[in-house]
Order: sequence, then C-alpha cells, then structure tokens
Amino acid sequence: MNDMSTNHSNLSGKKQSQRLAAARLNFSRRHFLRGMGACIALPALQSLLPARSLAALATSAAPGNLATTSTGAPLRTAFLYFPNGAIPSAWWPTGEEKDFQLNHTMQPLDPLREHIQIIGGLDHRNAMPGTDGAGDHARANGTFLTGVRVKKSATDIHAGISIDQAIAREVGHLTRLPSLELTCDAGRNTGSCDSGYACAYQYNMSWSSPTTPMTPEANPRQVFERLFGAGAPGERTLELKRRRAEERSILDFAMEDARDMQHRLDTHDRDKLDQYLTGVRELELRIQRTEKMGDPKDPARETPAGIPATYGEHIELMSDILLLAFQTDSTRVATLLLAHDGSNRSFAEIGIPEGHHDLSHHFGNEEKIKKIRDIDVWYVQQVARFLEKLRDTKDVDGNSLLHNSMILYGSGNADGNRHTHVNLPIILAGGGGGTLSPGRFVQQGAKPASNLFLSLADRMGLHDLPRFGDSTDRLANI
Amino acid sequence: MGLNRTIYIWLLTVLVSVSPAAHSAELAGAEDFRQHIRPILENYCFDCHAGGENKGKVAFDQFTNDQAMLENRDLWWHAFKNLRAGLMPPQKKPQPTAAEKLVVEAWIKQSVFNADPQNPDPGRVTIRRLNRAEYHNTIHDLLGVDYDTANAFPPDDTGGGFDDIGDVLTLPPMLLEKYVVAANQIVREAVPTVSKVMPEKLLVGREFLGGGVATTNRAGRPYPRALTLSYYKPAAVSNDFTADIAGKYQVDVSVMAIGKPLGDVSDSNRCRLIFGVDDAELLHNEYAGENGRPYHYHYEPDLTAGDHRLAFELQPLTPDQPPANALAMQIISVKISGPMAREHWVQPKDYKIYFPRKVPAAAAERRDYAREILAGFARRAFRRPPEAVTLDRLVKLAESVYQQPGKTFEAGVAQGMVAILSSPRFLFLDERVDPTNAPAGKFPYIDEFSLASRLSYLLWSSMPDEELLHLAETGRLRQNLKPQVARMLKDRRSEGFVKDFTGQWLRARDIETIPIDPRVVLKREGKSDPALDDNSMPSEIRTAMRQETEQCFDYVLRNDRSLLELLDADYTFLNGPLARHYGIPDVSGQKMRLVHLPADSPRGGILTQGTVLGVTSNPTRTSPVKRGLFILDNILGTPPPPPPPDIPPLEDAAKSIPGHTPSLRETLAAHRDSPLCSSCHSRMDPLGLALENFNAMGMWRDQEFNQTIDATGSLVTGESFTNIHEMKAILVKNHAQDFYTTLTEKLLTYALGRGLDYNDVETVDQIVARIETSDGRAQSLITGVIESAAFQRTRPAGGSEPVAPAKTRLRAEK
Repeated sequence: MNDMSTNHSNLSGKKQSQRLAAARLNFSRRHFLRGMGACIALPALQSLLPARSLAALATSAAPGNLATTSTGAPLRTAFLYFPNGAIPSAWWPTGEEKDFQLNHTMQPLDPLREHIQIIGGLDHRNAMPGTDGAGDHARANGTFLTGVRVKKSATDIHAGISIDQAIAREVGHLTRLPSLELTCDAGRNTGSCDSGYACAYQYNMSWSSPTTPMTPEANPRQVFERLFGAGAPGERTLELKRRRAEERSILDFAMEDARDMQHRLDTHDRDKLDQYLTGVRELELRIQRTEKMGDPKDPARETPAGIPATYGEHIELMSDILLLAFQTDSTRVATLLLAHDGSNRSFAEIGIPEGHHDLSHHFGNEEKIKKIRDIDVWYVQQVARFLEKLRDTKDVDGNSLLHNSMILYGSGNADGNRHTHVNLPIILAGGGGGTLSPGRFVQQGAKPASNLFLSLADRMGLHDLPRFGDSTDRLANI
Repeated sequence: MGLNRTIYIWLLTVLVSVSPAAHSAELAGAEDFRQHIRPILENYCFDCHAGGENKGKVAFDQFTNDQAMLENRDLWWHAFKNLRAGLMPPQKKPQPTAAEKLVVEAWIKQSVFNADPQNPDPGRVTIRRLNRAEYHNTIHDLLGVDYDTANAFPPDDTGGGFDDIGDVLTLPPMLLEKYVVAANQIVREAVPTVSKVMPEKLLVGREFLGGGVATTNRAGRPYPRALTLSYYKPAAVSNDFTADIAGKYQVDVSVMAIGKPLGDVSDSNRCRLIFGVDDAELLHNEYAGENGRPYHYHYEPDLTAGDHRLAFELQPLTPDQPPANALAMQIISVKISGPMAREHWVQPKDYKIYFPRKVPAAAAERRDYAREILAGFARRAFRRPPEAVTLDRLVKLAESVYQQPGKTFEAGVAQGMVAILSSPRFLFLDERVDPTNAPAGKFPYIDEFSLASRLSYLLWSSMPDEELLHLAETGRLRQNLKPQVARMLKDRRSEGFVKDFTGQWLRARDIETIPIDPRVVLKREGKSDPALDDNSMPSEIRTAMRQETEQCFDYVLRNDRSLLELLDADYTFLNGPLARHYGIPDVSGQKMRLVHLPADSPRGGILTQGTVLGVTSNPTRTSPVKRGLFILDNILGTPPPPPPPDIPPLEDAAKSIPGHTPSLRETLAAHRDSPLCSSCHSRMDPLGLALENFNAMGMWRDQEFNQTIDATGSLVTGESFTNIHEMKAILVKNHAQDFYTTLTEKLLTYALGRGLDYNDVETVDQIVARIETSDGRAQSLITGVIESAAFQRTRPAGGSEPVAPAKTRLRAEK
C-alpha cells in the first residue's frame, strides 16, 4: 500500500514519462505493471474466469436472456464519453458501408475495423439550445445518455434516467454490482458551471432517476478495492468478507432510523432521505447477491496506487479495471466519462499546451484545427487500446470479451466549434454476442441517438421498454 | 445608487398612501402600477419593450390581465436587477431620476415580490448532507481522526458556485457504501475495543542518531518521519530504550528499500543492514536496489530492566559499482511492545476518552453504561440529543455484539458508534423549527440546535463544539449570539471558513490545479524564465497565490476592516517566491506575511492577485472576456446573459481590420461592433482589458507580441479609466453598493446552503444597508448574515409561499 504510493510520487515529470515510454517498448502488454503499478496487467485468463461454469450460466440465464448471449456468456455494455466533439471532416470515413476508408482521426482503429461500427446520422436534438439559450456543454453531457432536455437551473437539477441505469435496473441483479460509473476527471473547478446549468450535468453522465446522478469514481484505487477488496493480493477476499460483515451489521439500524427521521420531513427533504434509503437497500442487495454468487477471484495484482501522474495512464488504468470488472462478471453495465464536455484540459504531453475547449472554438484557424484533430486522434488511441485488450481477452464461451460486449464511444457535441448536436460522432464497438454487425460504416439518416439506446437495451434483454428519452423507434441495421 | 434607507422607506410609504383604497392586494398592486409605475416605464422603457417591441424578449405590455402581470416574477426580477445595476435603460438613452428608479424598485419589491421588511421571507433550506470538507472537519473534531475524504469520497457537485447546496448534494448508492466503509475505518482507528493492551513505544526513524538523512516518508502515514541511509556509504545509528520491567518484549522493525530512478540506468549496488539490541544481532540481511519495497521484521527478545541500545548498521557491499540510482534504506520505525505478560498490560491510549469508567459486570449495568456512552457520542455526532427510540436501537445493537462470545463490551459500543456515523442524522444537517419560540405573525425560528449547526458549519466548516451545544440545550444561544460569533471567529477553526469561502467565491482553490504553460505564456512577451521553464507553473507559487487571497480576506475579516480593501488596498500578503514572481522587491523567505506595497504598485486587492488572474486565463494566454465575466459575476453581481447559440467568429471581426494583424483588443473591439455581441461584450471586455498588463500567470507585462498594452477603457456605466489603478478606484468609489450586494448574496448562499431567489431581495437589501451604515466593516457582513431572517428562521414545512403577504398588512394599517 504505502510502498505503492511512494513509487507513484516518485514517478512524475518528463523524465519519468520518457522512461515509461521506453519501458513500454520493452515489455509486452501482458507483462503488466509498467510504470510501477500505474497500470494493471491483463491477468492470466483462466485464473479469472467466473466461478460458475458456462453450462450453469446457460441454464441459470434469466428469463428473456437478460444480459446473456446466445452461448450463455454474459453480455456487457459500456458507454465511453469524450468531450467537445471531433473535427467532422477528419472524423467521418469515406466510401461504402462495408468498403469504407477510415479518415484521419480513426486511424488508430484500423486494426479493429472488423469490430467497430461507425454510425452516422444520430442526433441529440434535446441538447440543442431551443429556448434555453447557451449551455451546450452542459446539455451535451447531460443529454448524452438520458436523451432528455435537462432543466436549466444552477440548483434545481432535473435530467432523466440514463440508458445505462435503465438497463442496470433490469439486469443489475445478475452481478455483484448493478453498474459501474467511472470518470477520468480527477479534479473539478469550483464555481459555476456552464451558463447557468448545475455542474451535476457535466460531471455525471449516469442518472438513476431524474434527480439522482450516479457520481462516477475517479480514483482507480477506490474502484479496484470496491471490486476486489483492499490489501495485498491474497488478502482481499478476507477483507471483502470483513467489509461485508461490517456493512451488514448496521443495515437494520440505518433503515429503521432513516424511516423514523423521514416521517418528520416535508416532500422535498423526503426525496433526499429516499436517496439514503435507496443506498441502504442497494447495499443490502449487493451483500445478498455477493453471498449467493461468491466473491470475485482475486486478480492477483498489485492494487493501483491512486490517480496516475499522466492522463493517458489514468485512462488506461481505468479501462483496465473496467475490463477486469467485465471479465470477472462483477458488472455488465458501465459508463466511463473520459472528460466532461467543455473540458479545458491541456495536452502538453503531446505538444498541445492550450486548453482543449479553448482550442475547440477554432473559428476556422487551421493551426487550431490541426491541434484539435491531434487531440481527437489521441482520444481514439485510448479507446483503441481498450478495445484491443477486450479483443485479446477470452470470455467463458471461448469468444473474445469484445465479441460479447457493446461498447459505445461518443460525444454529445458533434462540431465543438459551433456546438452542434446532430450527426454526433458515435462508434459502436463489439459484437453484442453476435447480435451486432460490426465492420461497417452505417449512415442512419437523421435519427435520435435514443433510438440506438433502445436497440441496445433490446439486446440486453429489456424487450418491453416502449421508448427511451426522445426515441421515435428502434434503430434497425446495427 | 447609494440612497439611504430612510428615503427608501419614505418612498414606500408615499407610494402606499397615495393609492386609492382597493378591494384586494392584487388590485392595489395593479392600481399602483397604472398610476405610478407605467408612466415611468412609458418614458424610459417602452421604446424597446412595448408596443410590439420586445428587445431581449422583454415586453411590459404583454399581459392580458393584472394578475398575470403581477405573477410574472421572473420578468420583474430581471427588470429589477437591470435597473438597479444601471444597465437599463442603456447609458445612451434618457435616464430616470434616482427617485423614479426607487419608486419602481419599491413597487416591484412590494407588489410583485410581496416583500415585508418587518418579516422577510426566510425561504426554506433543503435538508443537506455534509460535503467532503465538512465531513473531514467534523470527524476530526468528533474523534481526532484525519480521514482523507478528498481521496475516499467523490467530489461534491456544486450549484450556484458553492459545494454546500442541499438541492444539488445528492447521495448515490456508491457514496452511501463509502460512508459505511468510512464509519468502520474511523471508529476502528479511534476507539479501543479492548480494555488492556501491551504497553508499546514507537521510535520513528529520525529518532535514531548518528548519521543518515532525515526524510519525510509521505506515503508512510501515520509514521512519516523516516531516516534515510544511502547504499553507498557506511552508517551506524542508534537509540536507547528503557525497559521498566524485565521480561519478554516484541520488537517490530519497519524499513523500506528505496531508489529514486535517475534516467534509464539500472543500479546493481547492494548493501547489508544489521539491526541489534545491545550485543544481540537480530537482523543481518543483504538488499539489492528496490523502488519502495517495505520490509517488516518481528523479534521477541528477553530484556532486563534498565537501558538498552537499539542500533542499525549499514554496510555498502559493492564499493566498485557506480551509484546510479540513489539507492537507500529508509528506517521507518522500531516498535517495542511489552512486557508480553498480561499482568503488565495497560489501558490503551485514549481509552478514558471513550470509556471513562471500568466496565461493570452485571448485564443491566453494562446496558446502562453502553447507553450512557452512546447517548453522549450521539449527541455530539447528531449535533442534538438523540431521541429515545434511536438510543434504544443503538444499545440493542451494541448488546448484540458484546453478548457474542469472544467480543468485548468496548467492541459492542464501537459498533454502536459505527451505526451513529452511518446514520442520516449524522450525515445530514437535520434542521427543525423551534416549538417554544414562535412569534405571532412572523416566520418561526429554527431551533437552537439547528442554529448552532448553521453557525458552526458557516464559521468553522465543522460541527458545533461543547459550548455551542450547551447553550443550545439551555436555550441561551440566540441571546448570546454576538459573543459566540466573536468567539468562533477568534477560534482557529474559522480558517475553514476563510479557505472554503474564498476558495469558491474567488475560485482561489483552482489555482493549485489549473493548467498553465509558462513557456508559451512568456514567449508572447518575448521572454523566458529559467525558473519557470517547465511545463507547469511551480506549485510553491500556486500555493502562495492561494494563501495570498485567503490571508487578505482573513486580515480584513479579523481586523474588521473595510470590505472595500478587498477591491483596492496598499498592502497584500506575500512570501519571497511570490514577491519575486510579482516583481516586488525586498521580500524574502518562505513565510507569507503582510507587505506594504510601493505607492505605484498595481497590486493590492483581489483583482490583481495571481489567483483571480490565473483562474480566468487560458493555459497559454489571458482571456479578457473571462476576466470581465469574472468581475461581473463575482464583484459587481451583474452577470451578462450567456452568449447566443450562433456566435459570429472572432476571426470574422478581425478580417474587418485591414492592413495589419490586429491585437486582441482590436479584434474584440471589432467583435463589439456587431450589435448581437455588443450588449454583453461592452460590459465584459473593458473590465478584462484593464487587466491585460497581467499575463496568464499573474505577472506584470508592458507588451505582448511587441505591442504596448493599452489598458484604458470605460465601464458600461460611463466612467473612464486609463489604467488598473483608476479602474480599482472607480469600483471603490462608484460601485461599493454593487460589491456589497454581490458579496452578501455569495455569503448568504454559502451560509444557507441554498440558491437565492426574488424572495431574498429584501433580506439582502437589509444586510447591505447594515454594511453601508458601518462604512463597509467586514464583521457587519458576517453579523448581518447571521442575524438575518433567512439564517435565523425558516418557512415552515409544507408552506411553499410566504405567510401573510406584506402588502395586505400594510394596507390594513392605513
């Protein structure tokens, strides 16, 4: 524990990152733990396969095949968000549906082209100004997975349930954690957020109800310990058990006492106590599920020290943990906010010291456009690395994790310069357990992005969801 | 501006008395409108906002009936703010007289907002959970544990600029899980679960003398004080330990092999480490280079009564190898526990704090003792005495643990404490109406426990202490408010307020983390600075900047100086590095201190502090627009509406300037020519451009890209200035009331934990009047907020609208 953080504190600055880059060349990706525990390796496969056998999985599959592939393997879905849109002219491929040429920005995805589907023509009209005026970043972010028009207010937040949570509500009971919410926005600026919108819209993309954002976790150590327990490899299962016993011991008290307290409150305050009670119930359910399903296999890797020094390492570490969570069937639903829309992060590591958001309003300046394009490519590189690892990891049924997943990568802004929310940059990766037809560039015409969500929900086994957000129909041909 | 309250009230009375008797309050308001208000609006506003004109989507004649007009509070609030700020009518149009403005303001407050100066609407605060900072401080004051909430909990959402707003502080399941984990960890760290332990003595590395380098092992909490011995140099260090009683002891040695990587070179040096007690060698081991690997060794020597020498010796084993990586052995600590025989065991540290007496044997007595301890702890943790039913549950829980075989009484009580820290009564600020003190015809007071918490979370960002709780219990807090506030401000804990409030109001927190690229920033001025030649501004400068802002605010607050010194002052707080950064001579050393500035110094006041200048810049350049917006938002309180969706590119504006590459000032000027942009940018840009002499790192500069910086300008309210000195002077002279109002709104928001609305206009006005009467004294702001109806009272549960509309009562009196 302590030694890990010492290492980490030593690993800052230019020299270290050069050293890391050199190290990267010398070790194979599977050789893990490069950068002194900054990143988790892909563990040896067999050791992490879920405890249940495939046959057991297939027979225990919930009615309607909830979050389960036809072979009986778990079906997962994840939503990854990148901020401020992408330069459209460098994003969109050219050519035909199957015979397409990747454009500049998507070059890092070339080795994965048979696993990805580039979808054109998806819109989020509820992110457009309408009568709400400015605040496109807050709306881009807040609408992205909810499909609704978020309420313009600095304190009175109101969005809608997000698609990941709508799915988790139905399939969450199948895994220890109903869903996992992650972010790589380590810090937050204080003060007001975008143009009169509450900050909650920008720093959360997952909402379990219109008024409850599912705060994402930024610290890899915290996520790791939540999934696999604290302590050194080998000690964690015991620690998880102890933690569970501690949690269980106060559940009854917490529930009864909160109910007592709630009686005295008025409606608005009662909502807040409801969040508390929901949390207690969720905790109780999680304990019950874990006891039924058993603890996850200890990944036998060092616990991450904390938030790594560089953004790239942070993203890699978070996506590694996400992969582990999928691989160990700890959850089947996840969101990863790479950075909130409007993020003004500086990309000094790739020679772009200016802020991302500031640059994104390039107003036609060629130099700025080039820099934004470089940032767009950089983000695609991060997701490509994650997808490659998913492709190279075998699932219980012998297929790859990528085959048994639906990974959406996108932004709620199309053209960051003009704040447009139509023809959003969206890539759907993975095979959906054989239900998706990747390896294509599909022009869907102008359709709500919510239509796609509805179709993903179908595949997760939510057949009777009549509509979602501003959906008008299901999205065919995906 | 600046008309005093007497005239104001007089106007209100005139307005009311000249109106003919009316059948209802609503009609009266409408009648007043027709007689007194409409004629004024016709003269000054209707050109643009009536008769088919609705500039800015505002039309005063859009209403089909009186009721609709009076109920459109958003429109009138908008009009009220613009009128008061002098933004409407625009400067180039005919202006209403001061009296006319006041009549309109008074009518809006009275007839539209239903404001009652005798009984202002206190609003209602949504029950809110503690934020990260408050949780940390509360746990610290409750149990002495320094729980790292910044790492353990996710950041809190903010609303209206602050992170203590009940409406936006949500509690997702993940956070509840973390609260339960935290409660267990905290109680485990603080509360002993046995009555006797082996005595122990901890010797940290630095207490071993004779060589090595004292180091701070940042990761090694709670024993950070290590001693570092190099692999390349022989060393022998030792310390003495006195055993009072002879017997078997436990000795636990913690060391860590470290090696700071220097480039890509590997280092194969090795060393031998020997540890012994007196003549007995206990450890004798060889070590290769490791980057931070801990080693723990456990021994059980027999010791005689008397002094013993504990000694480490480090022997280099590879004198011929080049030392490439600064390999070293860190002596973290040596812990000696014993004697191991139980009869010599002692009470754990802090035992008496939680368990003042011996644990009784009989079941009923044990139950009573558990109840007594848990009641006392719950009272402090819940910030009010626990209800009997809650206490019953807690005792039952404790009992269910300590009745198990092998579990101690203490462990059972500790479990009760975990439950207390997991309870919503601890996690949420649970406010109640005072049942005993309900003045007729007025909004009810919050009870004194609620008041104690409002005070402590405002002034300390933490829980009420014993004195506050005791006063609340005896119903004497309200009557002792003044001395209590004075006491609380004197207490060190009030640093929590200064830090949290300035950190958010002025965004001083953010300076520690915002991206800045010094090389690119300086290049614009054709400069470079080896001290800054890295890809980020040094953290010592950033921290000093944050402290400068905090300490200036702290100084004004504690010495009850004029709040206007926050805008312009002949002093600031600096240390050597920050003074050098600012170009101020004769300040050296790391310690921040009060510095009287040279007469011509542009520093002094928050606008020219590194925090404000930095957080309103982009990573590579200044942003006059962001700076202007910051001043409008946080100083003058007149934020412009957000930009329209289709913004014409700045470059379009630049193209209209032929002949040369335009400066930022010229580009912005051309941009302002567009009517769509001018209404807001003519307010923001001059304020921001006045600060162009300060770069994105807050350093002074005379030119950018070889063009001399022009900091002249004029405010939208008409005043012209030629430099930052003059602009600050104008703000102080002409805009003090705007500043007081803005600061009051910010502090009230922070103090209440809710956003403000039109119902709060009366409360804010009353506080501002107090500040003005006291010539801007800082503590009049604090006491004004604390004594305000909004802070002292509440709208009762279920009441969404204020009781007893003001206007009706005024009329009834006539």
